[in-house]
Amino acid sequence: MPTTSSHARFPMKFLAASMILTLGACSGGGGGDEGGGSDDPIVIGISLPLTGDFSEPGKGVQQGYEAWAKVVNDKGGLLGRQVELKILDDQSNADRVVADYEQLIGKDQVDLVFGPFSTRLVVPSARVAEEYDMLFVEPAGAAKEVFEQGFKNLFYAAPAVANDHYNYLAEKILAMPADQRPKTAAYAAMDDPFAQGTAYGLKEKLEAGGVRTVVDEVYPPNTTDFSGIAAKITDSKADVLVGGSQYQDGVNLIVALQQLGYQPKLAAFSTAPTNPEFASAIGNKTAGVLSPTGYSQDAKYPSNTEFVEKYTAQFGKAPEEDQANGYTTGQVVAAAVTAAGCAEQGDCQQKLIDWLRTNTVETVVGPLSWDDTGKPKGAHMIQQWVGGDIKIVLPEDVKEAEFSYPKPAW
Amino acid sequence: MPSGALLFQSVILGLLLGGLYALLASGLTLYFGIMRVVMIAHSAFLILAAYLAWYLHESVGLDPLLSMIGTVPLFFAAGVGLQRALLTRLRPATLTMMSVLLTFAIALLIEGLLGYAFTGTQRRINLGYSSAGLELFGARIAVVKLIAFGLAAVALTTLYLLLKRTKFGWALRATIQHRDAARLLGIDTDRVAGFGFGIGLATAAIGGTALSLDTTIYPSLHWHWIGPLMAIIVVGGLGSVPGAAIAAMILGLAQSLLQIPLGTTWAQTVFYVALFATLAFRPQGFFGGRLAQRF
Repeated sequence: MPTTSSHARFPMKFLAASMILTLGACSGGGGGDEGGGSDDPIVIGISLPLTGDFSEPGKGVQQGYEAWAKVVNDKGGLLGRQVELKILDDQSNADRVVADYEQLIGKDQVDLVFGPFSTRLVVPSARVAEEYDMLFVEPAGAAKEVFEQGFKNLFYAAPAVANDHYNYLAEKILAMPADQRPKTAAYAAMDDPFAQGTAYGLKEKLEAGGVRTVVDEVYPPNTTDFSGIAAKITDSKADVLVGGSQYQDGVNLIVALQQLGYQPKLAAFSTAPTNPEFASAIGNKTAGVLSPTGYSQDAKYPSNTEFVEKYTAQFGKAPEEDQANGYTTGQVVAAAVTAAGCAEQGDCQQKLIDWLRTNTVETVVGPLSWDDTGKPKGAHMIQQWVGGDIKIVLPEDVKEAEFSYPKPAW
Repeated sequence: MPSGALLFQSVILGLLLGGLYALLASGLTLYFGIMRVVMIAHSAFLILAAYLAWYLHESVGLDPLLSMIGTVPLFFAAGVGLQRALLTRLRPATLTMMSVLLTFAIALLIEGLLGYAFTGTQRRINLGYSSAGLELFGARIAVVKLIAFGLAAVALTTLYLLLKRTKFGWALRATIQHRDAARLLGIDTDRVAGFGFGIGLATAAIGGTALSLDTTIYPSLHWHWIGPLMAIIVVGGLGSVPGAAIAAMILGLAQSLLQIPLGTTWAQTVFYVALFATLAFRPQGFFGGRLAQRF
């Protein structure tokens, strides 16, 4: 089955490529100016994993991109030109994503590119974009490696990389008076760069602030029995519990801890608590559980209200984090294009890159700015379960409820 | 370094885990004893039973324990059918090897169908009592784990009594010990083997239900279980039900205790270390006695 489809794709691609070549030859004869002032649409080249391992988040990002294009076009476009998305499917395959961007930039001559999904695909495609001196804003790829490649054209369109997710929480804890501050902490993280990154980011900061680590466990991604880890954590009686979790592992660990009657003063888990099914999965014993989140439908950032409303109208349901990341990517590029007054290959791309390097962009996930490696300088909002609902508690300026410490018993 | 309370808690958790392993391994060793069949699909049936329990709970709100009323007879029938329709067709000379291939295919089939029907998303039954626990001399015992252990204990005792006290059990054990001699004595070994297989799969139905009470399930989870279970039945002596049960308790306990110094990742290796040691020093297994099959 996969072989048939990939064989079937090749003639299609050649056909598309030859059609574009023909079109290019035609327009070459016409000699039209394809620069900023024309009425041609701005074509944005994108490759996304619409099938394969990352198809679920890939489709989410696609919806975010489509929602952004619709909102922009409804308002008259960018620089007075309509935007048009040209999306290819990379089948979650790193070789394919390289070929896709080569085609989009080299053959199809798109004006701008947006990034694909996941670290594994972001790194090779950013390299292609750099060869062509294209601005490369990407919606996903929060792992450290992305920013260690020395890319000069890459920007990550989200508030923070994994290690910085808990920054607001770390600040809050370390700002407590010495007699109230927690003294010990237990960490349990999945053997996964993202999940571990979140837990270890907080661990580093708390250890530097004098909170002693009493348990530090790493478990394989396929773990289903957490009773052993839970027994260790319970025995340590740690004040703070930090879980570097995805979804189900977080749920399983919490249930195992509740079975053993462990009551921490603070419990923070990445990803799991923001899942819509979290509360019912742990039998509604959610009291006080904290989670960092890159995006909330309720966040009071100016463009977010518009995004949630328009997105819901277009797709019939509210956007999640993947969609928001796609939309944010669009907002970041749009801000640069508007400021630089151009959107085409060539010198314009460097203008866009230079502008983003020194400016802050207002987005649906808050104001974003970047360091020299393209790493965002922000942190994630912190949400807490309060009375059967998850609410933003940190940072102060967008909070919906008070941060509660020590947390109520679960 | 580990406190007494943590050790005690780990012993309790290990015993509870060992009980579940014992039930799951007993079915596996039964197949081998009866027919020299290596049943790779045993844990796939286990996950299938867990999915059925989950699905019935999710769709009609049935308590997982009640789902056994349906799944146990169903699995028994499936086991008899599987043995009569497929496994008896394999040539006796290559039965053990070919049964690996055949049951491997069945495992893949079940995994694929589960993925098709329920997607790869991890599932968990949300019970009102899933986080409830009892206090015992300072240690805590989760109610769901206790129920799972109870199920395993009842099923194993029933199996033991069935094998030791009933005429069918004698016939089954005779078939295990010496098939030809049993046939000479007038035992319909084909029929007995079919029922034996059915009982093996019925333990998978009970085991799967016990499993679904306290863990997450997903279609490919069975690969995670088959390795430890295979190791248990080899250590216990292939074909020996009491041997499998004892080995399961010991290895479950060892895994739980080793988690304290080694962590989750390395504690799992206890099964494979035990497997290597058994094959190297006592290939007939430690508890099987003279009945055990030697590789």
